[in-house]
Amino acid sequence: MIQPQTLLNVADNSGARELMCIRIIGAGNHRYAHIGDVIVAVIKEAVPNMPLERSEVIRAVIVRTCKELKRDNGMIIRYDDNAAVVIDQEGNPKGTRVFGAIAQELRQLNFTKIVSLAPEVL
Amino acid sequence: MRVLATAAAIPCCAQFHGYSQEPIHSLGLWWRRRCSPGARVPSSSRPTRFHVSLSQRPQDHNVGGRDTDEMFDDLLKKYGKVVYRGGDRKRPSAEADDDAESLSFAVTLAKVANEVKAADIRVLFVKPLVYWTRFFIIVTAFSRPQIDAIGSKIRDIAEQQFNKVASGDTKPNSWTLLDFGDVVVHIFLPQQRAFYNLEEFYGNATPIELPFDNQSPFRS
Repeated sequence: MIQPQTLLNVADNSGARELMCIRIIGAGNHRYAHIGDVIVAVIKEAVPNMPLERSEVIRAVIVRTCKELKRDNGMIIRYDDNAAVVIDQEGNPKGTRVFGAIAQELRQLNFTKIVSLAPEVL
Repeated sequence: MRVLATAAAIPCCAQFHGYSQEPIHSLGLWWRRRCSPGARVPSSSRPTRFHVSLSQRPQDHNVGGRDTDEMFDDLLKKYGKVVYRGGDRKRPSAEADDDAESLSFAVTLAKVANEVKAADIRVLFVKPLVYWTRFFIIVTAFSRPQIDAIGSKIRDIAEQQFNKVASGDTKPNSWTLLDFGDVVVHIFLPQQRAFYNLEEFYGNATPIELPFDNQSPFRS
């Protein structure tokens, strides 16, 4: 359940550390974003000497949420944090590696690039 | 983050077992119980003991390392028992047939890419590393029109000869990805190929020998 003003961790090595959601893309009038949604976010904290800087506006894909993700087969996945991967306008990830486990729903949502950079797919 | 990795590894383990058509052990049972505390699943004291051993893990233990995997294997062998066996269990021969079919598909696509002058074509057998696909094809193209040409040719051949439709990028991109399910094609510009360095990330995958000369005249 990501909404504007939510703080998210960054699950890649793009150089951002913490994001704040400011808009959900393509959600229309929906209030919350879930795994696989694209958000517009502001970088609240960044690693020094990296291309991304604080207060930059970027796009990101949500890869982990504290809110449970339910599958049709009854499986429920819940992570310990809210995390996103920074992408550019074309949908390519800004970092070269993704950290932590991500859900395979991202593949159905055409984020196979992020899935292929991840160490573990649930 | 470490705690997350462990917590996340539990459903993953359950699911991996489901997908690889191996029996789910009591680890999966424990996971189900944790996710829905309302649902009572009858169990012996054994899975509970396993739970305790997990949560009392020493702080400095290397999670995700080789030791942990071996520890889990040992614990599963000692205390694990089959609680659910997937109904869609495939025989090893059927699995091998699928592998062979995907291999011929992947090699055909690599040949097609070679015909359109893609450079540095690599076919990797990634099935032992990731469960969601079998083969990666990584190729380099030198311009966006060439990426477009390679992508559309691969799509055409896949649709005509193998009746498979790709998901993934539709427009030429600096990293264009075509997802055929069992085979995933990555078309890179040289810069992006060096940047993302997928070959290194999948360094443990088995490279497949290709039947054509893979030396590009464009490469320095």
